[in-house]
Amino acid sequence: MLVKMNTHLQGAEFLKAKTPGLAEPAGSKALGESAERSAKNNQAVVDQIRDWQEWREAAHRVKRHAVANLDKLLVEFERNISARGVTVLWAKDAEEANRLVIGIAKEHNVKSVVKSKTMVSEEMELNHALADEGIRAIETDLGEYLVQLAGQRPTHIVTPAMHLSAEDCGKLFAEKLGEPFTAEHRALTDIARRHLREEYLQAGMGISGVNFALADTGAIAVVENEGNAGLSTSAPPVHVALMGIEKVIPSIDYLPVFWNLLGRAATGQKLTTYTHLIHGPTPGRKLYVIILDNGRTNLIADPHTRNALGCIRCGACLNNCPVYRRVGGWAYGWVYPGPIGAIITPMLVGLDPAGKLPFASSLCGACAEVCPVKVDIAHELVHLRHRAVNEPSPARSIWERLMWKGWAFAMAGPVRYRLTMLGVRIGVRVAKFLPWHPLQLGAWTRGRELPKVPGPAFRQLWKEKR
Amino acid sequence: MNSRDTVLGRIRNALADRPVEELPPVPEVWPETNPDAETMAARFAQELDAVQGELHRCRSMDDARAKLRGLMKEFGASAIGAIDGPVAREVTEGLNGVAWVAGDWDPNRIGQLPLGLVAADYLLADTGTCVVANGTSQERLMCYLPPACIVIAKTDRLREHLPAAWKEIGPRAADPALCGEFVFITGPSRTADIEKILILGVHGPKRLIVLLVG
Repeated sequence: MLVKMNTHLQGAEFLKAKTPGLAEPAGSKALGESAERSAKNNQAVVDQIRDWQEWREAAHRVKRHAVANLDKLLVEFERNISARGVTVLWAKDAEEANRLVIGIAKEHNVKSVVKSKTMVSEEMELNHALADEGIRAIETDLGEYLVQLAGQRPTHIVTPAMHLSAEDCGKLFAEKLGEPFTAEHRALTDIARRHLREEYLQAGMGISGVNFALADTGAIAVVENEGNAGLSTSAPPVHVALMGIEKVIPSIDYLPVFWNLLGRAATGQKLTTYTHLIHGPTPGRKLYVIILDNGRTNLIADPHTRNALGCIRCGACLNNCPVYRRVGGWAYGWVYPGPIGAIITPMLVGLDPAGKLPFASSLCGACAEVCPVKVDIAHELVHLRHRAVNEPSPARSIWERLMWKGWAFAMAGPVRYRLTMLGVRIGVRVAKFLPWHPLQLGAWTRGRELPKVPGPAFRQLWKEKR
Repeated sequence: MNSRDTVLGRIRNALADRPVEELPPVPEVWPETNPDAETMAARFAQELDAVQGELHRCRSMDDARAKLRGLMKEFGASAIGAIDGPVAREVTEGLNGVAWVAGDWDPNRIGQLPLGLVAADYLLADTGTCVVANGTSQERLMCYLPPACIVIAKTDRLREHLPAAWKEIGPRAADPALCGEFVFITGPSRTADIEKILILGVHGPKRLIVLLVG
């Protein structure tokens, strides 16, 4: 399944049938199985930890503290890491962050860039912005590289190419890199190794994300498995690290608990293979850190969504979500899929385009149960549903508003209620025999039977009993 | 107003209610049991094996040197790159083909080395992790570019787990003059990005070989 798609952000048009995960059940089945397998494997590792709940609680409280003191911690982080020779830059939004990266690239005469995985850069659509300036950006994480070659977007925040089969990858390498076809995992990995090795050695700049920024010592932590972040941040002469404002934690003392949680929750590893704790540029090199808001302050402004900023992007809520497993990442229409995406996206891009996302949940709560930093995802989703319904929005049709008005009217008195119910009982009986059903009702009855009218109503039974 | 002030201003506005969130005490994470070196070495061997790393126990530096010779033969390597330091000097004494990677080496040159030797500051027994402090880009690249990474450490570098090593790493990290990175290496480079099948050696080394001396 190699679906071509526009890689620009499409807004969160949730549940449009054109999204590949929905249109092609086979594709989403593979993804669902992978996600389920990850969920089971990781849970088995977590189950061995006696103090898991205490770790979660501690991490949760550290993140709450960090958000409540975010301004102070960011200033402390800036002061301490600047003292190590790092240039710290701030960006209000994605566009400004892109301008900053392009400015740095031009200053250092950079022609090509190697990127290790950063979700923030997806948010910025940095690759497009660089391409517009004639700068080549190569994704080096294997999954991201595959997705980039295919001209697609990631379906998962930890395993971006979860939807591609080995055969898909082989065809992709044959088509884009002129390699002989293979569907063998080792051979595929070696092809990527060979091509990307060249890229690291010739790139003028490396870009990474930041998993944790430490306020007290002035350092950034980057975790990865492939070695691509290590290479991207050490082979080129310039390293640019992109971070959202929420990545800062107060002290290096808390880092072990976060690393222990992240590795297990994300991939079932006790520690991720390469965990880098970077304290400033090595001699002769440049290191820039760009701190980005891009709507995150909207999440802080609402006390009910504030804690979602504690997210450490492990992907556990995706793997455990029955909805995500069925529809895949693209269906969510933006960078962050799954339960956490259904909170973050509406707050970052606005309730108008993305207000439907919080409804894309069965509220089963599996996400909150596995979240290593105890983000109360289900309750935050309910809160956002309230906001999406109550805040005036042109996205909701006049018909919907009229319908709710009518409902409120009908419920306001016993006579109105009885008449309405009588109407419904007759309507459901009669509708069966109509050849044509209007609008949404028509869409619904194409594949389903109308419900049978149940026996006597409760009011009737009550009357008889008495 | 510059962007820094704008972003900080937005944060302050959003936190108008100034919630009070007490910082919790640092969780113990792992209880400390202070095991002896032999217990830690056994645990390290077991955990390193679980992450597909290879361990060679060496009785002495001479023994380790013999292992290095054997590895060079196995890889058909006439040269081995090394980062200068007391342990690396000691183990390579009298060994032919040692290339000392200096500050003027570019990444291409490091990429041509068939074998790389680095010394670990700490070995974490509970996770099979090698902690390497890299102060230069050459030192960093030596951990990622050669197809096989050989890490050497004496048994006195063994620590029970990450929090136990943190007591030493924390104060070092607080030094404002420190640059470069601490890298925590737990097994060779790996990916499961294609169909969740584990493959070793994507971008970094395909093999991670630890020489534990003493």
